[in-house]
Amino acid sequence: MNKYFTLTKENWDKALVNLISGYNIYAPLTYGENQDYELLLDEESIKEITYNKPKPATPLKTFFNPVKENVVNLKQPEKQRIIIGVPACDLSAMDIQDEMYLNRDYEDPAYKMHRENTTIIGTDCHSLQEHCHCTSYDVKPFPKKHHDILLTFFEGNITLEVNSEKGENIINELKKYTALDEPTENDIQKILDKRKTIEEELDNQNKGLPNYKKTGELVNNSGDEIWKKYSETCVSCGACATICPTCTCFLLLEKPGFEKVRHLDACQYPGFEKVAAGEDPLGELHKRFYNRYMCKYVWKPEQFESLACTGCGRCIEACIGNINKNELFMELTNQ
Amino acid sequence: MQKGNLYKPIKAEVLEVIEESPTIKTFVLKPEHNFTFHTGQFIELVLEGIGEAPFTPSSSPLVKDKIDVTIMKAGYVTEKIHQFKGGETVGIRGPYGRGYPLEKLYDKEVLVLGGGCGFAPLRSLLYNLQAEQDRIKKVTFCYGSKSPQECIYEPYIDELRSVPKFEVMRSVDKADDSWTEEVGVVTVLLDKIDINIEDSVAVVVGPPIMMKFGVQKLLEMGYPENKIYLSMEKNMSCGLGKCGHCMMGEYFVCKDGPVFSYDEIKGRPDIWK
Repeated sequence: MNKYFTLTKENWDKALVNLISGYNIYAPLTYGENQDYELLLDEESIKEITYNKPKPATPLKTFFNPVKENVVNLKQPEKQRIIIGVPACDLSAMDIQDEMYLNRDYEDPAYKMHRENTTIIGTDCHSLQEHCHCTSYDVKPFPKKHHDILLTFFEGNITLEVNSEKGENIINELKKYTALDEPTENDIQKILDKRKTIEEELDNQNKGLPNYKKTGELVNNSGDEIWKKYSETCVSCGACATICPTCTCFLLLEKPGFEKVRHLDACQYPGFEKVAAGEDPLGELHKRFYNRYMCKYVWKPEQFESLACTGCGRCIEACIGNINKNELFMELTNQ
Repeated sequence: MQKGNLYKPIKAEVLEVIEESPTIKTFVLKPEHNFTFHTGQFIELVLEGIGEAPFTPSSSPLVKDKIDVTIMKAGYVTEKIHQFKGGETVGIRGPYGRGYPLEKLYDKEVLVLGGGCGFAPLRSLLYNLQAEQDRIKKVTFCYGSKSPQECIYEPYIDELRSVPKFEVMRSVDKADDSWTEEVGVVTVLLDKIDINIEDSVAVVVGPPIMMKFGVQKLLEMGYPENKIYLSMEKNMSCGLGKCGHCMMGEYFVCKDGPVFSYDEIKGRPDIWK
């Protein structure tokens, strides 16, 4: 199959209108300054889709590990799901999600079901937000893996690059409703040039931030004081972890019928590691705060192949205590 | 790899409830089908609609049709199960994790150091070693508890004392008139044992504070760090190395442990908490 296809935005929208009856299609819509994935229900919402702009408020992981789900009495999905507009930081984060939930001796049935049922249409970022810093961790601002199709909306046209069999299936579906052309080399070159520009802008914005090879060493050799200082305004709300595309922790709650409901959890909540006899290794706030950094930059790299931070910056945006992880790393770097 | 849904337990009937001490009971469970575990591995015991908690079986791993779980009343789930009288249905998930390294104990003088309810997982090991007496040089079991009333498994202690190659020593923090054995924290027993440390491996299980001082004493006695094994008690919830509640440094205690050699875990934050 041809790898690249192009069509006008108008034809793309029309094709999507036809697809929404057969699939659950999610795409980012913008509200004020924020955007988030929404289920597309009609032509109006399809026209309003936000393209190539970082980044939906919700991380991709919540499609595969919802905030709350019964993991024993699994509800089979009625329709296949397509997610449009996934940025590269979230796609890279699927490395560790897959490693955690599909490998390491135990394959998680709920995660696997959602993963198999979903086609991912990733997207280039054509702008950056204040806290975007993917390139510090060697993540490019365009999809490299885990996407089935890569979508770029540029100069009035939608360009699609197919990356998997699932992606091919969607292309075949689109062909039922619209003609697909082949982009010219020049069109593709323009997309590649745009990527380069954004990559340079990101590098520029994040000059001096330590890379992933350096962060572990910095956290490991840090001493107590900096963690006490930065956790002063932490209220243990757990937003940083629940909104993090790479955090994987969860809580199991028991239901009648020997069923279990899994909830997203966060090591920032008091009592996260507490045992019945009373011992609580993370009883103190600064230890919980430090734990999250040790987990991401020291311990996960020891046990996992994948990155445990992809530089999306959501933890900075979500923090009601205004704790800025990048400022913390700059301070560690300059210590 | 476990078949079927990872989070769905098999059912088991509570056949018998044995009162071991004022706060500790043993629940004899009959699983719906034979259940195999390696000594030192743990299970998640599920109380339907209430919750689940991790326990290392206290019975012999060679017995497949019944499992003993010895439980101290400590939190929400254990309070509830202590009200059970027998006949109830519970759930079992597992077995999980890495148990005692039996192969490291063969042809050795094995020192087993236990405190309080730590005897529960150790009883499973002792049963296993008893069944494999030919493969070990000897077993010295030092057990400490707070008071004579809190010493558990009295009949098993009597049985062990008659087994060749097995030596049993006990101490209590606070004795009464009936007590004829040692008095003091469990480490006082270590001053009295006759063991060739160079040919020995130690296994330590008990409350964190007891394990801390136990390990300290063993190191002073000359045990190398990699010959001291510990069963760590953390907040193991999923049992699958995923939920994160039992992390100790880079380890998921439920999957990488719960049994570790001391050299594997030393230096990790708050291991004794």
